[in-house]
Amino acid sequence: MSPSRRRLLAGVGAVTTSALAGCTERIWSFAEGSTTDRLSVLIKTPPSDDDPMASKIASQLAENLQTAGIDAVPEPTAKPELFRSTLLTHDFDIVVARHPGFDDPDGLRPLLHSQLSGERGWQNPFGFSERTVDDALEAQRDETGDTRRQTVADLAEYLVETAPYTAVAFPDHVSAAERSLGLSRPPRTPSEYAALYYIRPPDDRRGEPLRAGVFAEGMTDRLNPIAVDLEDVGVVLDLLYDPLVRVTEDGYVSWLADDVSRQETDGGSEAIVHLREGITWHDGTSLTASDVEFTARLLADTSLGEAESPVPAPRYRGRRTLIEDVSQTGPRTVRFSFDSPSEEVVRRTLTIPLLPEHVWEPQATVIDEHVTEALTWDNDEPVGSGLFAVTDSTSGERLELEAFEDHVLFEDGIPDRPDLLEGTPGFDGIEFRVTANPGSAVESLEEGELDFVAAWLPPSYLDVVEEAEGVSMLSVSTRSFYLIGFNARNEALSNYRFRRIVSRLVDREYVVSEFFDGHGSPARTPGELLGLSEGVDGSPEEFPGSQGDVDEAWVRSALEDAGFHYENGDLFV
Amino acid sequence: MALVGVVIELAVVVATMLLGATLVIVGPRQFVDALSEFRWRVRACTLPLAVLAVVLGLRWMTQDVVPRLSWRVLGHNVTPQIFSLEQTVFGTNPVAVLQSYQSPEITAVFAFIYLYGYAFVLIFPFIAYFALEKMDDFSTLVLAFTANYAIGLVCYVLFIAYGPRNLDPVLFEGLLYDAVPRAYYLTNTVNENTNVFPSLHTSLSMTVFFLAWHTREKYPLWVPVSGTLAVGVALSTMYLGIHWFTDVVAGTALAAVSVYIGRNYTIDGLLESARRFLATQAERLGQPGGK
Repeated sequence: MSPSRRRLLAGVGAVTTSALAGCTERIWSFAEGSTTDRLSVLIKTPPSDDDPMASKIASQLAENLQTAGIDAVPEPTAKPELFRSTLLTHDFDIVVARHPGFDDPDGLRPLLHSQLSGERGWQNPFGFSERTVDDALEAQRDETGDTRRQTVADLAEYLVETAPYTAVAFPDHVSAAERSLGLSRPPRTPSEYAALYYIRPPDDRRGEPLRAGVFAEGMTDRLNPIAVDLEDVGVVLDLLYDPLVRVTEDGYVSWLADDVSRQETDGGSEAIVHLREGITWHDGTSLTASDVEFTARLLADTSLGEAESPVPAPRYRGRRTLIEDVSQTGPRTVRFSFDSPSEEVVRRTLTIPLLPEHVWEPQATVIDEHVTEALTWDNDEPVGSGLFAVTDSTSGERLELEAFEDHVLFEDGIPDRPDLLEGTPGFDGIEFRVTANPGSAVESLEEGELDFVAAWLPPSYLDVVEEAEGVSMLSVSTRSFYLIGFNARNEALSNYRFRRIVSRLVDREYVVSEFFDGHGSPARTPGELLGLSEGVDGSPEEFPGSQGDVDEAWVRSALEDAGFHYENGDLFV
Repeated sequence: MALVGVVIELAVVVATMLLGATLVIVGPRQFVDALSEFRWRVRACTLPLAVLAVVLGLRWMTQDVVPRLSWRVLGHNVTPQIFSLEQTVFGTNPVAVLQSYQSPEITAVFAFIYLYGYAFVLIFPFIAYFALEKMDDFSTLVLAFTANYAIGLVCYVLFIAYGPRNLDPVLFEGLLYDAVPRAYYLTNTVNENTNVFPSLHTSLSMTVFFLAWHTREKYPLWVPVSGTLAVGVALSTMYLGIHWFTDVVAGTALAAVSVYIGRNYTIDGLLESARRFLATQAERLGQPGGK
């Protein structure tokens, strides 16, 4: 049989077998009369409609894997389904997606600790499990200052070599706004939204809602703050749900708490948190210490003890695991106790948004094996305590928010009020409008139907933005990063040598200059290769090739050194 | 709103094309005559149209459920297989080959065919066959369309497939939405971006062309017009990065099957045999000792 005919039959065979068996998620390999198997991988990534940057990275990776003799094809998967299959059911070979980024190196702990490998969400989706790594992750949690920095640096170097995942680059959040708003960067946090809301109403927009363009259709229907199968709705949830303490540009700012006093205890620490007076939920119920205690209980076990073993919420999991106990010591006072003595680690737990007990308690029912109503319900009429409350929504079209006037931070003369809330608002409410795609969002801006685009615009649209009249480009660097994740539960990918080689098959500089149009920065140092944007230096990594194309001789000999072999140019295990 | 604007523009352009084609291909006389005796014509095609409406209604009603059912239960993401198959057979993907000839003018022509030409080629036969002496061809057309939509719906549940532009934006470009971003409102309202296998654009326009061939003696001019448009639509779906070659082949096959069904069966006949089948079953059930 000629090689091309064999390839054709193999292709047809692949279509039939996978269609019949329905198991493309696994590495499907088919024997060709020998005892070893040709290596095939599917690269799960959002379709380019959802995220062209991820899609292009996956394309380059697939191309370079093919150069290495590996049968690699991208598998476009709608975002919510991508999150489901990588974060919930762990049904993937390689995934390329955007990670929200870490606010602290402790973010690595839930992502890589072997104890969390069975959990859902960004809790070890890679199925990575190594004792040395577990030990280091636990050590840095309890350390501070230089000792901690050193532990993290050593860990980073080790993880670059074992490659459970690899960061590709940190994209800038690029977007566009009506020029008269005078913005230079897209608002991303509640304080930035508040600043826009208070300070910058152009004359003709005064007294009208601020209109923000988004592309996530699901946003109008699903606003569950503890689920992970959501599209980009982070900022909306931040506007609706308030934490005790918020991180702003000025660092940690008292938000719903007016006092936090901290002390070290035997091997750990505790914090006494005092709530501001007169805080209420959007439905008028008052927010008490009991809600704070409830939130911690619900996040640890969304069945509130009903299930045989706890069903933790997949979001805020890393921060929640730092809390040993929460107890109400007065109507407005709560005591948190922590295993770790490190202030820089534990203070992050107070940034978890609070959930109302009277709304969420009835949702704490088990509906399926290890699934609760709290994790699956849509929460399409969210009751939070944030600066803004949902007033109306039209499925797939718009979500309307209005300022929550009873919010304690809107009152004059309260102590430690964040400066940005001074003054009188120029707009009246915020309207998130769903547009079909980035192109139509820019058109809507030009026609004055939007004030700015809240979603990420793919950099390829910047030409359109530049040409559009009365529209200015916005850009800000972010902590979030594109990652290539490997499912170590799969045979070939359980081999760290293989993962390490694959982790080098993307030209990070090229990705930033060509796919991001220069709007971002490539991951180079060991820390950056893990997605830590700062704090860990080290020797930068070079791409073994040029212009995005890997050097064929290099990759083939590297794979042979790692114990693989070639037959007719194809890689075999 | 945005969608309404797009629809109005489409309606105006297509209506103009329909008017022109009616005057030239059908002729004003024949058209007016048909209108004057519209009662019996409408009565004759009420049943097939009702069945088509039911199938379209079903599609519309299930549009929220189908993606979920497809992703979570019945469906299978065949995008990588389609890509691999074409890679193995052709070496260079046909979509990439077509796109290598791209220029703004060609893109504009194909975008026009994809949006306006398609709508025209779908609607015009309804007018043309309505104006014939008998309503047989009209009923055949409606039944063939019904078959297209029904079989298409089943395929979309079973096969999740993204088009070239969604699989790999480096190899393939999404030319339509770059050229006419608002078209996305329209296409996304009518369809999901995972419904590419088979290409319903191709199958419906090919259905029209195949039927035009069968009615070539009545409307000889319609054969080259519909043929050009059908091939144009098939090419445009690929050139614009929306469909794979495989989708177009499957779409053409679906058209052939649908035309076969349309020409060899009638709604009355199908309903009659269903009734007879149920009657025999009921009879058997009614008999003592029967199962």
